[in-house]
Amino acid sequence: MARHRKYEAAEESNPALDISSLIDVCFLLLIYFIVTSTITPRESDLGMALPAANPSTGQPEIEPMFIRIEANGAIYTGSGASQQAMDSDTSVRELPLLRGQLDMYASAARAANSKPLVQIYADGEASQQRVIDVLNALAGVNINSVTFTDLVN
Amino acid sequence: MASSKLRNASAEPEAECALDMSPMIDMVFLLLIFFIVNATAIIVQTDPNVRPPIAANSKRQEDGSGRIVVNIRPDGTFTAEDFNTVLPGEDEIYDMVKTMKDRHQSLGVVSKLHLRGDKESVFRYCRTAIRGAARAGVDQVVFGVFVREP
Repeated sequence: MARHRKYEAAEESNPALDISSLIDVCFLLLIYFIVTSTITPRESDLGMALPAANPSTGQPEIEPMFIRIEANGAIYTGSGASQQAMDSDTSVRELPLLRGQLDMYASAARAANSKPLVQIYADGEASQQRVIDVLNALAGVNINSVTFTDLVN
Repeated sequence: MASSKLRNASAEPEAECALDMSPMIDMVFLLLIFFIVNATAIIVQTDPNVRPPIAANSKRQEDGSGRIVVNIRPDGTFTAEDFNTVLPGEDEIYDMVKTMKDRHQSLGVVSKLHLRGDKESVFRYCRTAIRGAARAGVDQVVFGVFVREP
């Protein structure tokens, strides 16, 4: 009888929950998710305003700069006799020649107290990346008023 | 005598055996804080079939309001933000943009076209989307790009 009481008391005095296996599983899951997760790169914005967003009442004070993007990725500025070949290597994201021209044009426009305007003719078969390269160069010199002259086909 | 003392001494630590949880809790909170701080809010849902082009001079996405997302897959398929709704052509893009623009207008938000074109797609698809949006009266265009190669 006394032995039975002693046994019951010993059992009640040590109530314990073994959580070590739970911790093992938690860490295993944590390591699994860390190892299998992939970091999604964050997207950013390259903004531009179509002419309708900035309506002008009269003629622009400065001649808009004309940029042509060919299907093969070659870039030209100007038109007719004043046409100049710019960067043509499609594997290079930076466009140093175009950037130089844009810099000069933007400086001249701002010196004349007017807003620099750019007209782009992009061939329908030109890659999206190439057009973005040109828009990226424009963003580099703070030009965001762009007209696509070929919104027809 | 000595053997009973030894027995008592060796029995005591077993009786008070306990697992100290505080370092583990510290670490769990540290990890939690790390993940919360590192987490970024999703501005727009992204179609996994579209790999945007690279533009180093692009700006970080800050405001998600007023964005009307059009995805352009490499084969020229247009999809809406949920990337399950396929938009077959310019007229469907116009309808979608118009509906969204009216909704934004009622909330007093300016609409802008968020164009997520795949870098391998050709520009004529992009032009179709811009034209559809312009017809619906949306003239602000934002191109979804990566700052650097992912």
